[in-house]
Amino acid sequence: MAEAEYVTRVAAPVARVWEFVHEMDNWAAFLRGYQSHEKQGERDSIWVLKGDVGAVTRTVKFHVHIDEWDAPAQVRFTLRGLNEEMNGGGSFLLQPAAATASAQPPGSAARRPGWFARLVRWAYRRIFGRSERAASAAGAADGVAGAEYSQLGFQLRIAPGGPMGPLVDAMLTPLMLPVAEELAEKIAARLEERAR
Amino acid sequence: MTAWWERLTRAAQAARAALQSDAAEIEEETQGEALPPGSEPPRWDAEADLVAVGSGLGGLCAAIAGHDAGAACMVLEKAGKLGGLSGFGGGEVFVPANDCLHALGIEDSLEAARRYAEFLAAGFQSQPHLEKWLDTMNEAVRYFGEKADVRWKACEGLPDYYYPHVPGTLASGRYLSVDIFDGKTLGPWQQKTWLTPIMPMGALHEDMYRWGGLAKVREWDYELLGQRIADDLRTFGPGMMGYFVKAAVLDRGIPAYTETPARQLLTNAAGRVIGVRAEHEGQPFFVRARRGVVLALGGYDHNEQLARSFEDMREWHGVFPGHLHGDHLVMGMEIGAAIASVPPTNLALFYGYQIPGEEVDGMPLWRSCWEGGVPHAIWVNSQGERFCDESFYKDFQPRIRAWDGARQLQPNAEVFLIFDGTYRERYPLGSFMPGQPLPEDLVMIADTVGELADCIGAPRENLERTLARFNTGALRGEDPDFGRGQWPWAVRMVGDMDYPNPLLGPLAKPPYHAVRLRPTSVGVNSTGLKWNLDAQVMHVRGHPIEGLYAVGNSAALLDLGGGYQSGTSNCRAITWGYVAGRHIAAQPPRES
Repeated sequence: MAEAEYVTRVAAPVARVWEFVHEMDNWAAFLRGYQSHEKQGERDSIWVLKGDVGAVTRTVKFHVHIDEWDAPAQVRFTLRGLNEEMNGGGSFLLQPAAATASAQPPGSAARRPGWFARLVRWAYRRIFGRSERAASAAGAADGVAGAEYSQLGFQLRIAPGGPMGPLVDAMLTPLMLPVAEELAEKIAARLEERAR
Repeated sequence: MTAWWERLTRAAQAARAALQSDAAEIEEETQGEALPPGSEPPRWDAEADLVAVGSGLGGLCAAIAGHDAGAACMVLEKAGKLGGLSGFGGGEVFVPANDCLHALGIEDSLEAARRYAEFLAAGFQSQPHLEKWLDTMNEAVRYFGEKADVRWKACEGLPDYYYPHVPGTLASGRYLSVDIFDGKTLGPWQQKTWLTPIMPMGALHEDMYRWGGLAKVREWDYELLGQRIADDLRTFGPGMMGYFVKAAVLDRGIPAYTETPARQLLTNAAGRVIGVRAEHEGQPFFVRARRGVVLALGGYDHNEQLARSFEDMREWHGVFPGHLHGDHLVMGMEIGAAIASVPPTNLALFYGYQIPGEEVDGMPLWRSCWEGGVPHAIWVNSQGERFCDESFYKDFQPRIRAWDGARQLQPNAEVFLIFDGTYRERYPLGSFMPGQPLPEDLVMIADTVGELADCIGAPRENLERTLARFNTGALRGEDPDFGRGQWPWAVRMVGDMDYPNPLLGPLAKPPYHAVRLRPTSVGVNSTGLKWNLDAQVMHVRGHPIEGLYAVGNSAALLDLGGGYQSGTSNCRAITWGYVAGRHIAAQPPRES
């Protein structure tokens, strides 16, 4: 099974993050390869994603069912491939987070990062292709004046089925963490952008 | 001098007019801010003795051989990855009388090879080119094995296409492929080299045969393949090009620029090629070539106008990534290069289909259709009639271009793959395994043969008659109309050994399925630049153009003539890349 978990810190209170995350329309387009989604009632939706499977890009259609809404702590879901043999699931996990030592103190959000922090950001982008925000967090975290902080986690697991399952699994595995990271970081960035 | 250039320009214009191409398209693709012939660019952004345009097998072999012979080399690649078409294909190299074959105790000779090569060429070859190719191919392949650490191995059990019906053919050993290549050794180029979705990643030829071939694909060892993929252990074309990219770019430090398309060949006042105007990061990029430029850009599968003009087909699709625009022809003819053609009739054209949503490098992926040669499947044309041995493309290729003079059309240009419920239970369609739902926008399904005929627009009585006749023969293990099952190569590729005739089984169990097919090419085109025995490009006036070389599929099939055999394209690229690289290195450098 290909799986990944990514956790990031958001300069926004849990309630605001929950408000954003529990409505899929808010973040659907942040998912790598997103093509479309269609709600089918309170808990079900059909998603169309385009993703790399080895050397080829394929369009995959998933049925997603929300198993649990546990406001404001978690959303758990299961997914089933409609045109590919794969099943899986995942969750969003939310909890309050303290401003850590790496976070900038209130009132200093607009300060331009030093040359070393900028170098770290640049190196992260070059080496890992990660988002500006992730690079920032790795060097000197952006802070938002007077912000409360939340910890946002995203878990995803996909188990390809059929005889070729092990092969597809090998192709998906390297993609999982970047997908989880990208989604969590984009959600965080959007929330922080709104807070400014 | 002016009159001389005017004559050249007129010759080039005449040749271009003969292409009947869309001039606007070519202008956009290759002109930009063109420099007048004979003028130096405002600056040189980079320089080398040998500039290879294209990073496929021909370009890299020229660069490696040139480097080893003392030339400073450089590679310019239009795509974002290295490896070209060669990195996307099957990676077979057809080399009669090779060392690996002899090591296995298989007997072969160049004389036998010559008989077979002349059969393939069908009189359309240049005999000196064919002779030098045969005489040099083993030297070249051996060279890259020894000097570039390419681990060749013979594909045991894979016959020549025409074995045993044609003199000079062999049952096994003439195809070379490479042993597993560790992609991790490519360092920064690991993610910038082609992988391929059209060959089973991680598998070797011997694995495929041991597991029962393509017809038994659902029973392969996917745990092993998954582990190899996870470890980035490469085979087929990606494996082969892994060795060559490593040898060129890492081991020898030859600079390679990706996303750097060549736009124009630069010449001095005497007409000698002195460099290339390329594009790099959106800016003009002038590369000086002190000794020579090697055009190794593949063919023109993605230039609709060129394909239509030269390949005798109204519709044309390429299996490989979309960088094969025929730039070598346009740039070459612009400075007076001659072109040469062989009949397109029996090179490497297939039928294929496109699974909705599948893409490579941002373009729709066309898959060659091998399924028609498997038991319980056939192809029919729009009249619901069979027209070929579906398992053997040397049989069906000429029939793709068949012309109905009374109706003024090509009746076999659009055909349909037809298979029944038994096929569906046993074999995959593309990457869709038995039991997996098939895309509605790809596959038509009906409960009866008549209803399926309605789906494809064929007369019901025709399709019913076609299946009845095919089934009668298939139950006896015979195909009286097209002899399906007579070619051991086809049996090896798609045969199901559970059947008396591994290529035949009746279509008798509903539901019945149909997939619309289109002509798809694998980059082996009928027209290329004309070249001499040193791989130098020839001028329309009959002399070599100093400083300009063409290899691989950019070079006209003067050696191969009017036929094709899997692995010959790679062998040509290796052989003539080797020849070109050494010849360039032996030239005196042109001083600025």
